[in-house]
Amino acid sequence: MKKIALIGIGKMGISHLAIANQTPGIEVKAICDTSKSLLRAIEKNTKFVGYTDYKKMIKDVPLDGVMILVPNAYHFEIVKYCIEKGIHVFVEKPFTLSYKDSESLVDLAKKHQVKGQVGYVNRLNPIFQRVKKLLDHNVIGEISTYKNSMTGGVILKKNSKGWRNDYKKGGGCLFDYGPHCFDLSTYFFGTDVQVQSSVLKKVFSTAVDDMVYATLLHNNTIIGLNYINWSDNSVRKATNNIEINGSNGKILASKQELSVFLTEANQELKLDKGWNQIYITDVNTDVPYYLRGEDFSNQLIEFSNLINGHIDESKTSLYNASITDKILEEVKNLNKELL
Amino acid sequence: MDKIIFGDNQFFGVNHMSEQTAIKQAQKFRTAEDIYRTLEYVNDIGIKSFMFTTHNQLEPVLEMIKNNSKFDDFKLYPCMPYAHKYADAMVELGPFEMINKFTPGNKLVSGLKGIGSLISSNPIPIMKLLVDSEMKLLKGMNVKGIFLLNIATDLLLGLEMHDMLYEFSKYAEEKYNVKAGFFTMNQVKLHDVLVNKIGLKDPIIVSNINKIGFRMNPSQLEVEKVLAKKDSYNIAMSFLASGALRPKEASDYIESIKGVDSVLFGASSSGHIKETKVILESKVFML
Repeated sequence: MKKIALIGIGKMGISHLAIANQTPGIEVKAICDTSKSLLRAIEKNTKFVGYTDYKKMIKDVPLDGVMILVPNAYHFEIVKYCIEKGIHVFVEKPFTLSYKDSESLVDLAKKHQVKGQVGYVNRLNPIFQRVKKLLDHNVIGEISTYKNSMTGGVILKKNSKGWRNDYKKGGGCLFDYGPHCFDLSTYFFGTDVQVQSSVLKKVFSTAVDDMVYATLLHNNTIIGLNYINWSDNSVRKATNNIEINGSNGKILASKQELSVFLTEANQELKLDKGWNQIYITDVNTDVPYYLRGEDFSNQLIEFSNLINGHIDESKTSLYNASITDKILEEVKNLNKELL
Repeated sequence: MDKIIFGDNQFFGVNHMSEQTAIKQAQKFRTAEDIYRTLEYVNDIGIKSFMFTTHNQLEPVLEMIKNNSKFDDFKLYPCMPYAHKYADAMVELGPFEMINKFTPGNKLVSGLKGIGSLISSNPIPIMKLLVDSEMKLLKGMNVKGIFLLNIATDLLLGLEMHDMLYEFSKYAEEKYNVKAGFFTMNQVKLHDVLVNKIGLKDPIIVSNINKIGFRMNPSQLEVEKVLAKKDSYNIAMSFLASGALRPKEASDYIESIKGVDSVLFGASSSGHIKETKVILESKVFML
């Protein structure tokens, strides 16, 4: 049983705590947050021991792994500290706020033989994993283009204040939705990637983008339009949709369903010529503990497998996440002015 | 409890399998009247139990039900908390205003200084206040049970805050004189806690139970084993697996495993509602 601790008990922190507490192979030994009243409440009502200083916690409690769930601006500092102490890390997305920092942590982790994982849950979604399998099996032939979109309703009316309207505090749609969207693109099409163009547009926000179009080129062959929009008032929750065009067919996928069009039947994967429909109900979704979707349960199973040595590298490795940070930076820099 | 219980997902565009299906369903239920008419049909054909999330959009519907005597024997099973309601209010109003909004005029809460002291104090009185606030909607109506939604049940289960599950159950019985029920996506774990750890007798557990094993955690086989123990009152939801199964095959499975005491289902067309009711009555419950 590997011992872990959580740093940062916000909304995501509480749900990670519940899931981690029920995930085989790991045991939550301590939690850390700057809010004393929150720690008091947790200590009073649960079995978890609380700390306000993560360095003290790491000193006091022998740990194999740490989950870093603090605001994005503190990721670099805390991840660095943990790696130097030889503790495996899980960090929420985005990895850090700059590609340079992320890259340096990738190297540092390698040097200290520390394993890392970043909270890109899409890679652990059963339907997206099925898409990945289809692509690995070359089911739709040579990929030429794709359209990948992530939309949701975060900012739905005029907004001129708060951290969401401030780039310095990690605001804007690009840094909120962008990481998940671009990470899904590199999951499917690889991390050899260049940003070809980008447009950032504001709709309701006054100082940051609400919509982004960016084209990515993977392996010098696959070109993809990535579209993110957090001002979509028609969707109930954040939604990912991807369309992939290949020489022998097409894939349409979201978190719940997948359609595959093939010009020829595929015997091996039991897919017919023409359209095939696969729903989340068709794939195995069993998890030891479910709170807010299989993706989140699978994410902790992955972390458990990683620190127990059952896998060498996470699907959402520090390296993969650093490339997402690189894309974000390039998209931001390539855009000349906020429209 | 009745064997057949009508649910509310279709009214609010919730479908676990397909976003498109969810959109189509949401289009059918644009107004309170649309929802009311469906419930009227449900009541007319003899489905006498309705289980629903305490969603703002249902307020006018509940009012209409209250004012029509043909619903006098129609049983209501509110499920709470509707998390979005609180999350939205938290964003819009901030913590203080949110608490005031949901507990108007309550001295205990308005007397507390700040959310810090609120969360550091015992969460049980807050749970009670929230239950009362949700129940205000239903004053004078035929409420036969109070259910905790899976987001809350499973969070408490995950954090091992088992006392809260017990206190919720106790409060439903003491204050409202009805049994509590628990939605969960972790039927096996929850059953163990409710029956073995906190010692509830025949707790009501609502969980996914369907032929294809969709969201039957940790596995279909283990859930089936727990159902067979028959020391809990088991309500199957998603027995049609969000539409992946036809009512006939779905019902055959429920009948074959034993241990399912009631089925909770939702459908948007009167044809589907009737068909499902007839099949459940003839195949599963032999009514």
